[in-house]
Amino acid sequence: MELYDIIFYLFAAITLLSAFIVVTSKNIVHSAFNLLFTFFGVTGIYVLLGADFIAVVQLLVYIGGILILLLFGVMLTNRITSVDIRTGTVHIIPAVIGIGILWGALTAIIAFKTNWIVKPADSMEPTTVGLGNLLLTDYVLVFELLGILLLIALIGAASIARREFEELKD
Amino acid sequence: MYNFLTELTGNEIIAAFISAMLPVVFIVPFVIFGVLAERKVSAHIQDRLGPMRVGYHGVLQTVADFFKLIQKEDIIAEGADRKFFNLAPYLVFVGSYAVYAALPFTSTYIGSETDIGLFYIIAVSGFAVAGILMGGWASNNKYSLYGALRSAAQIVSYEIPTALVILSMVMLTGTLSLATMSEMQTAYFWNWNIFGGAEWAFTKLLLIPFMFIAFIILYISTLAEVNRLPFDMPEAESELVAGYSTEYSGMKFAMFFLAEYGNMFAVSALVSVIFFGGYQSPFGYLGNSLGLQWLIPYEQLFWFALKGILFVLVQMWLRWTLPRVRVDQLMTICWKYLIPYSFANLIIIGLITLL
Amino acid sequence: MKQYFKNTWEGLWTVFVGMKITFKHLFVPSVTIQYPDVKVPLPERVRNRLYVNMDDCIGCDQCARACPVECIEIETVKSMPEEDLGKTSNGKKKALWVTKFNIDIAKCCYCQLCVFPCPTECIYMTDVYEFSEFKREDLLYKFSTLSGEETLQKKENFEKFQAEKEAQKAAEIKAKAEAAAKAKAESESKPNSDETKQSEPPKQENS
Repeated sequence: MELYDIIFYLFAAITLLSAFIVVTSKNIVHSAFNLLFTFFGVTGIYVLLGADFIAVVQLLVYIGGILILLLFGVMLTNRITSVDIRTGTVHIIPAVIGIGILWGALTAIIAFKTNWIVKPADSMEPTTVGLGNLLLTDYVLVFELLGILLLIALIGAASIARREFEELKD
Repeated sequence: MYNFLTELTGNEIIAAFISAMLPVVFIVPFVIFGVLAERKVSAHIQDRLGPMRVGYHGVLQTVADFFKLIQKEDIIAEGADRKFFNLAPYLVFVGSYAVYAALPFTSTYIGSETDIGLFYIIAVSGFAVAGILMGGWASNNKYSLYGALRSAAQIVSYEIPTALVILSMVMLTGTLSLATMSEMQTAYFWNWNIFGGAEWAFTKLLLIPFMFIAFIILYISTLAEVNRLPFDMPEAESELVAGYSTEYSGMKFAMFFLAEYGNMFAVSALVSVIFFGGYQSPFGYLGNSLGLQWLIPYEQLFWFALKGILFVLVQMWLRWTLPRVRVDQLMTICWKYLIPYSFANLIIIGLITLL
Repeated sequence: MKQYFKNTWEGLWTVFVGMKITFKHLFVPSVTIQYPDVKVPLPERVRNRLYVNMDDCIGCDQCARACPVECIEIETVKSMPEEDLGKTSNGKKKALWVTKFNIDIAKCCYCQLCVFPCPTECIYMTDVYEFSEFKREDLLYKFSTLSGEETLQKKENFEKFQAEKEAQKAAEIKAKAEAAAKAKAESESKPNSDETKQSEPPKQENS
């Protein structure tokens, strides 16, 4: 389908371009904001692949959660008015060599070892029901464990905040 | 709608664009008259008259203001981060406009018949947060930044009670799709979710008080999410000049305004879909009794708009009733009151649905 | 715990109470007066823009002297004996041409002190309060009814009259002196005429 192709390349371009800026930008806040477009592009690609639930989770968790947290961190920990928030690039040549070798190996494996299957695209169907069923049957243990992990994190955060509060009270 | 347009124009792209643009046709007039209504309501609550001079009783005041805003010089402060400064208002508007994609205006027009409409609506509010943070940071103004940070903290916190209440409603109705949810509350107003849903059983009676609690929690937290008074910490004129929109002028300021009023209607419509049957008429359709099937979508649009506007009016009414809360009070309301109540409500509603 | 629920209930309840109050006010008739269309009636003795009724002004300069900020400027020229300026409304005879009667309302402090000394009650405060101007000069009100040419003419007339009078006086004095001299000459043989020439006043005294 032509329209889908156009949209796909649009999202791919958004993702790659903004990801590039994220890495190269010297201003860390610029990087953080460009991450927004990277996440958004990935969301778009998920939608095009018919993974609607994953797309929305991506939007909710990455843009609504992680990105905002990141921005908060950057904005609250640095002095905002001065232009101190900068990241530099060091050791360019070793990094290029290392990443080049890794990337080359990965692409080689993907390109030559993968058993590509060409078939017409599946019709887009809601995935929520299937996901829900899987989460509460096959993967229920992992699901519950994750829930407990998050609960522990939450309690830990609350206890850290509380201790400080009591110290202040004294 | 999309299919109809595809047949009409013979081109998918054009049809997609037209159906995507339809909410704009609704939002812009709504914003124009919403701003007027806000000023009129505030004026009459304070025993004043409000705008009176443009048109009959000032009805064209916002139109005149709109033209004024278009003509205004677009000022960008020297220390501002130009790229993000220009981008932020549009991002905020995207966040507010994206919500309209999942709202069922009528049974025949819905932007995207996605199965996860509610979830999606919660998720896209992240765009507005990011846009506000971006605008506040790029303005390079401490008031803007304070406003932006406050706004982000507030929206992120109030997303939790919103999500919890929506979760309880999802447990009750068994669907995340707004269209299906509206469909389920059909026929008469006692079938609305606020009166315990369409199923006739003794659980319906049990549910009613908890539905009212859920409705109040959702209404309060959505009020906070769209940064309206009494939760307008991000803009708090008396403290922060105008919060994140301090440095903005002209059309970019208008975009923030458009986003705010668009958001107001969006959350009102969301509340009406979840609890008050969305586009469903409270007493059956005229189209059915007259035998005119084509009339029904228009009636549904009317009811949808009416319910949404009614809740927007209640928002305005609240705005001119309550003083602004303090930041710590804001957080107290959210974390110490709304979240425990919505948790308890979630559990109780879950138990009742199991019965 | 009990306090917690009480707080919640009170918070919610007071919101509804407030909403009830604001809802009532929605239907209270508004107190707004739509100013340019509807004006508030001013009290009787309100002090606003000064006005001078020039028909009654006798040019006595008392208002200008009473003014604490010196915003009134008056210049007068005496009238000819043959000219009749008429009478004021309360029966005073006018004797002066008021060639200049300027009030700089920008300076005026609205104290009304100029109003009381006026013998003919021709200067008074009106209830006009909308007199803003774009230029400062426009706030200088010129009340004199005479045009510039007329003013010049009056001045000229007066000067001519004065000069004539002087001349007449001088002539009279001269005549007197001559008569006196003659009388003296009659009594003495040789009169001294230099004295009379010195006593003659300079010609342009009043310019």
